[in-house]
Amino acid sequence: MAKSPASAEDRAFRETFRSWAGGVRRRLGLERLLTGAAIGLVLGAGAAGAAWQTRHGALRPWMAAAGLVGAAAGAFVARRRRWDDAEVALYLDGRLDGKEAIVTAVELDRQDERDDPARAVVISQATEVLKKASRKDARPRFVRAWHVAIPLGIAAIGYMTLLPLPPAPKAAAPPPGKEQVKIAEIRGLEKIIDLANTNARDDAQRKRLDKLAEDAKKLRDKLKDGMEKREAQAELGRLKDAITAEKLSLGDGEERQGLESALGKLATNPDLKDAAKALGDRDLVSFDEQMEALANKLEKEDRDRAKQTLEEAAEAARKAKAPDVAKALEEQKKRLDEKGKKNERLKELGEALGDGLSDDAKEALKDFESGKGSAKEQQKLAEKLEDALGKLTPEQRKKLAENMKKQASKMTGEEPQGEGPSKEQLKELAEQLATPEGQKQLEEELKKMAEDPPAGGEGSEEGERQKKLDEAEGGAGEAEGQMGTPMPVPTPGPGGKPGQGGQKGQGDKPGKGDKPGSGKGEKGGGKDEGQPFAGHSEGGGPGDHKGQTGVVDGPGMKARASGPIGKGKPMPGIVLGRTTGRAGETANMQGTGALGQAAPGEVGAIERSDVPEEYREQVGRYFQPK
Amino acid sequence: MTATPLGFGTGMTTSNEFQKRLERAREASQRLVKAIGQVIVGQDEVVEQALWGLVAGGHVLLEGAPGLGKTLLVRTISSCLHLQFSRIQFTPDLMPSDVTGTNILVSGADGSRHFALHKGPIFGQVILADEINRATPKTQSSLLEAMQEHACTIAGIRHAMEEPFFVLATENPIEMEGTYPLPEAQLDRFLLKVIVPSPTEDEMTEILARTTGQPMETPERVLDREEVLALRSACRDVSVAEPIMRFASRLVRASDPLTQGAPDLVKRAIRYGAGVRGAQSLVLAAKARSLLEGRANVSFADVQKVAKPVLRHRLIRSFEGEADGVTTDQVVDALVESVPARSENVEQAIRR
Repeated sequence: MAKSPASAEDRAFRETFRSWAGGVRRRLGLERLLTGAAIGLVLGAGAAGAAWQTRHGALRPWMAAAGLVGAAAGAFVARRRRWDDAEVALYLDGRLDGKEAIVTAVELDRQDERDDPARAVVISQATEVLKKASRKDARPRFVRAWHVAIPLGIAAIGYMTLLPLPPAPKAAAPPPGKEQVKIAEIRGLEKIIDLANTNARDDAQRKRLDKLAEDAKKLRDKLKDGMEKREAQAELGRLKDAITAEKLSLGDGEERQGLESALGKLATNPDLKDAAKALGDRDLVSFDEQMEALANKLEKEDRDRAKQTLEEAAEAARKAKAPDVAKALEEQKKRLDEKGKKNERLKELGEALGDGLSDDAKEALKDFESGKGSAKEQQKLAEKLEDALGKLTPEQRKKLAENMKKQASKMTGEEPQGEGPSKEQLKELAEQLATPEGQKQLEEELKKMAEDPPAGGEGSEEGERQKKLDEAEGGAGEAEGQMGTPMPVPTPGPGGKPGQGGQKGQGDKPGKGDKPGSGKGEKGGGKDEGQPFAGHSEGGGPGDHKGQTGVVDGPGMKARASGPIGKGKPMPGIVLGRTTGRAGETANMQGTGALGQAAPGEVGAIERSDVPEEYREQVGRYFQPK
Repeated sequence: MTATPLGFGTGMTTSNEFQKRLERAREASQRLVKAIGQVIVGQDEVVEQALWGLVAGGHVLLEGAPGLGKTLLVRTISSCLHLQFSRIQFTPDLMPSDVTGTNILVSGADGSRHFALHKGPIFGQVILADEINRATPKTQSSLLEAMQEHACTIAGIRHAMEEPFFVLATENPIEMEGTYPLPEAQLDRFLLKVIVPSPTEDEMTEILARTTGQPMETPERVLDREEVLALRSACRDVSVAEPIMRFASRLVRASDPLTQGAPDLVKRAIRYGAGVRGAQSLVLAAKARSLLEGRANVSFADVQKVAKPVLRHRLIRSFEGEADGVTTDQVVDALVESVPARSENVEQAIRR
């Protein structure tokens, strides 16, 4: 049906209704827009709070944009859910009490049913209703209670924007030792590198020392570039272990039996007791000092006995296939001999000079003869004698030489030893003093003796090597100190450490101590308990004696309560299980087998264990790898 | 186009013409109410609802206790209308032919005999079916065809009723012994079921004053046949918007307990709800109401107002509903309350 032209009433109604509907729709759209903005600002305030919490300060003011986004979303929703004419008409009827005249009129107008008899009346009535009504009566309220969130949201975002950011949360602590350490110059390592210049006992040791030096060099270079602290500590720990192992290498392994045999022999001579102890401790520097003191102190007869003992000990060591030990002992014997001769000569000269000596020189001679006989007294005496010799006039010198000759001629040659110089010695001295050249030579000799011995020039070869190793070990300690405090080692649970009971014998069960060294472990129930040389066995069976220490030619090994072990070492650490925990390495390192065998990584473990210091050396020797 | 004494006619399209029809309809209804008011005291709602039935062209069932003036109301209405009035007093021994009429053998002037139809009281224009529930269902059903189709078939011959045809039935809710409650099919034919309430004190006093003196004059006839037909025509021309028809549909559908979203009371107390005829009646009655108020369109309020008399006799209570004493009026109230006229967002916007 063709649409008939709209009447004036129709047009009037349409215009009026469109005007009213526009107002209603605008306000409804505004309400949705504000609702969207309110939701957006609430979310934005929450997001600003989150940004504040997570310290994303720059993002906070941008959260206000959430309000705009919300408003846009509200406008979009308003557009999508825009009321149609019927809904607006129903709303207007409801608000203006139109008795549904408006909605009916809208429908009739839309249908364009011109022949509907009521159409004109309904449209007329609807127009009347709209015209009579005030706009205020049909304004949907666009401000809702929740729109208060808009100013609140803006205020909250503003507040969050102005609020100072919270302090940054503490970053999770990196694992211990994870931090980088970078040291341009690490002096301690130079001492280890210097091991490359140290004399080696044999080719194997040469290689080992070179490798130590090489490793130290590498570590130095790595530290220059920077590396993980724990890795550096682990490397340094390995170097220290290797140095310690090297220090203890004399008489170890295959030669151990020989060392014990030699110690047994040395122990038979009371004069060599201290020297034997030093050798047993592998403290070859101290061994050198003891031997030097003996050389100064002992009379010829005792010295000969000592030499005899040293020879026997060297022989025993050689027999027990410990050539290195034997070599060291023979060297000591040689040094003892030379030193003794030198001392005799000094004493002879002193006594020969007799009254020609000053009071100081006499005092020095007296001290030297009294048996203190240290290197210092020897130097002092040599110095005084040189002075006295230099002050002699040619007449006095001649007279002294003649006196000495006379005295020598009077001697029968059968005078007891230890009571002044022998006939030959006196003759020799007299001849030397007779000529100015001889005197000069003698002065030179004394001068040399008075001077400080050059560093490393006086000790035995082994002693000098050990000195170097000691220095290298000290250097490693210095390097550790330069890197900072050592890493903490996790404390094990109760019963995790061997107690004291386990040290005494060969108890199998660990102690129950909670603290290092304080545990009173249950004694092991093994049958070898209390027998220091017994092999390890478990379960009471016949067992395998592989690895058992051989028979020692001597009174047996005894604990040395005063053993100076761990000189300059750090405090003992905590031992986990059977080995130490160390930075960068697993703590779960186990020994490789029976007693007497140990993994290389366990070298030095005793030093860090809670074994009492006086027992460490002995316990350590049992666990040295063969 | 047919002209009527009141100027009503079908096919009038101009605003002024329909406006005039509306005004005349309102004026006519006012006259009728006024005339009825001369006899009937109070009972304004009953009178109004009876007029809805008259204007909408439906039949009305009046239910009330004896002595409340039901019959008087119907007689008054009929006397105010210039229409043919019939009264049928329903009794248990009343036969269908007593209602519809029958063919009887008659003698002609020439002595010949032939069958001639003797029309029953159903052949009137305003029918008073008094105490309709006292007749047997067989007799009650004799009204069915006439009420629905405005025609009556006697001896195979269909006889159309003269328009307007309007049945006003009464029934007594008490003295149920010896009564035959109307079957649902027949109840459905009534557009409205009007409950006649007891008069108030003032009304009772007025009734006493009017009825205990000299008999009053019969009210004058205020509406003739054409005017009634014009009213009915105007009623049909009243506009109903789609949202209002949808509301009526929702209301009727919600009376079905099987419908999703039906009120709890419906689900509990109703066995069968109203059908399509109920929805039609709802809209027609609403149109009649709006017409009598001088409006050319139906409002939600019209539908809500007519819901009770239209639906109350179309709802069949369940056993539980009967046992709980839930009346159909309560159910209709629940329906009107729970079924929203407008969509939720529009309702919210109106409220704020």
